[in-house]
Amino acid sequence: MTKPVETSTQDRNSQLLAEFKTTTGDVRVEDPKMRMDNVDVHYGDNQAIYGVDLDLGKNEVLAMIGPSGCGKSTFLRCMNRMNDTVDSCRVSGTFSLEGQDIYAPDQDVVLLRARIGMVFQKPNPFPKSIYDNVAYGPRIHGLASSKDELDHIVETSLKRASIWNEVKDRLDAPGTGLSGGQQQRLCIARTIAVSPEIILMDEPCSALDPIATASIEELIDELRQNFTIAIVTHSMQQAARVSQRTAYFHLGRLIELGDTNTIFTNPSHELTENYITGRFG
Amino acid sequence: MSEETINSRNTTAVVEAGLAKRYARERRFRLMGVAAVSVSVAFLAFLLISIFAKGIPAFKTTYVKLDITLDQKALRLPEQPSLQDLSRGRYDSAIKKSLLAQFPEVTSRKEKRALYKLVSSYASRQVADALVANPDLLNTTASIWVLADDEVAALARNADYTQNKKDAGTELIRTQIEQLRAEDRIDIRFNWLFFQRGDSREPEAAGIKGAIMGSLYTLMVTLMLSFPIGVAAAVYLEEFAPKNRLTDIIEVNINNLAAVPSIVFGLLGVAVFINFFHLPRSAPLVGGIVLSLMTLPTIIIASRAALKSVPPSIADAALGLGASKIQTITHHVLPLAMPGILTGTIIGMAQALGESAPLLMIGMVAFIVDVPAGVTDPATVLPVQVYLWSDSPERAFTERTSAAIMVLLVFLILMNALAVLLRKQFERRW
Repeated sequence: MTKPVETSTQDRNSQLLAEFKTTTGDVRVEDPKMRMDNVDVHYGDNQAIYGVDLDLGKNEVLAMIGPSGCGKSTFLRCMNRMNDTVDSCRVSGTFSLEGQDIYAPDQDVVLLRARIGMVFQKPNPFPKSIYDNVAYGPRIHGLASSKDELDHIVETSLKRASIWNEVKDRLDAPGTGLSGGQQQRLCIARTIAVSPEIILMDEPCSALDPIATASIEELIDELRQNFTIAIVTHSMQQAARVSQRTAYFHLGRLIELGDTNTIFTNPSHELTENYITGRFG
Repeated sequence: MSEETINSRNTTAVVEAGLAKRYARERRFRLMGVAAVSVSVAFLAFLLISIFAKGIPAFKTTYVKLDITLDQKALRLPEQPSLQDLSRGRYDSAIKKSLLAQFPEVTSRKEKRALYKLVSSYASRQVADALVANPDLLNTTASIWVLADDEVAALARNADYTQNKKDAGTELIRTQIEQLRAEDRIDIRFNWLFFQRGDSREPEAAGIKGAIMGSLYTLMVTLMLSFPIGVAAAVYLEEFAPKNRLTDIIEVNINNLAAVPSIVFGLLGVAVFINFFHLPRSAPLVGGIVLSLMTLPTIIIASRAALKSVPPSIADAALGLGASKIQTITHHVLPLAMPGILTGTIIGMAQALGESAPLLMIGMVAFIVDVPAGVTDPATVLPVQVYLWSDSPERAFTERTSAAIMVLLVFLILMNALAVLLRKQFERRW
């Protein structure tokens, strides 16, 4: 790539952003789990997301990377309408879950969130026992018709979250008494107990140590078999390790989207390349 | 930056020079704090000691054993008296006769009148109770312990203020007391009557049960009204109310209501509940409604603060799982906010317990003898009882005023202990 006269990276990025028209790479997939079309998000008078098109494929892990404040968490939270709790947030565009617009007025938010689960940045187990934490979702949705069934759901979820062996003898202990990594795995178990179709993860490992992070990354790979996962991450190494496709966001715009390996070894857009090579962010 | 560089040796010297002054200032500040606390504790101790010193004598009462002839005809009782008949007999004359028999040297009319005042007018009730408990005593001469008059009781206890009374009448009573003592006919006991009876004209027979029950009923009504309404209002304002002008106006008004003088609520009670709705005067029901209006702002403000302090991550987790807003609030937010809500409620209740001005306006100032049996019976409350007794000149009522204050303090301590217990129950780590 030929460079013009030497300018600082900031100036160059602003220039590239001004020239930005459409996303580089293939945003569309065949038979997507969720399709996002021309999404704009405003917080009051500030626009946070500018015209993003994105498809989420079935049983894939899609990583969303980008510098701080680029809107990836905002975008993620729109996917299960968690931004409804923020008064000043206005979302336009379509989010279709298997053909159904989730922002339609007759869409039941409670049902939506039972189909699309979320794991948050800071582990937030309820101040209840480990069992009650995992059982809360199935209980309120009436997924278990007997105590035995509920026990089974709890056990399966804890096993799938790779934490069963550590807690099987103390299911009545408070969830908040676990270590950070264990708490996050408990939150993952809690989310999958409801058997959602999609799991959204908002920087799930940023508050954890490397060993806990590694165990969760392993977990994400296993979960891919049964769920579709969209993960926002600050760590490019993590995105490279767990995802199949990666989306690069920059100041509210989706700059590039493509196969993870390609993005990290041979990005097409200069903004992506600047970020990946650590020139900024 | 100037040319002069700041090197560490300069800084050390300067800091070292100023250290002594800084520490001296901190010492002075700490001493002021300790002094302030000591003064407060001293005043508190002074208050408590003076109340207890005045109030303890009220818990002691004097009984006199009299031999009373219970003749059926003299008592104007029918042939086969029922228990009801027994409780209605004329025991005054029997008591007077027994007193004359006990002190045969009393002859003059004046001395006789003084003698009859040896025992309380409540004594006839006590004789009736004894007979109802044991009807076989009829037509026998029974030895019954009856309540002594408050003046006699003071003299028997050798209370401080009686040392200076030296007139002939008092001297005579002193001799009579000595005589009774010699015959083991006088006894100083714990004043259980204080907790069993309502108010009375005679201080020795006056009790606080009426006021305690009145306070309990009033507080019950207050709690049952203000707690659910207050918490629900706080939840609505915090979670559901749209952010518009109307909500702002409501919030400002609630905050202002907390500062309204309590007597204004009394006026509201009289105008609306008594004059318009014709609810019974002096009833704990009306008192409770008035006090709950007064307590609502306190509970709402404390509950809102408690709800705000629940970390939003918990609510997010619940919503993310597909819980509805109401489920999130009832399953997660409210339980976590409970300690703060309960603290606010107990503070409100303690305030309500000590209120007298609004209750005076709705009529709970009357002299009420019977212990109330329900929320619509006329009643009085502890602070009002204190006020009524403090008006009376008898020394025994002064003692009882302090005793009533002690009972009020015990109530408050119990309520606070309950609050601490409940908070510990609900406290969770998150």
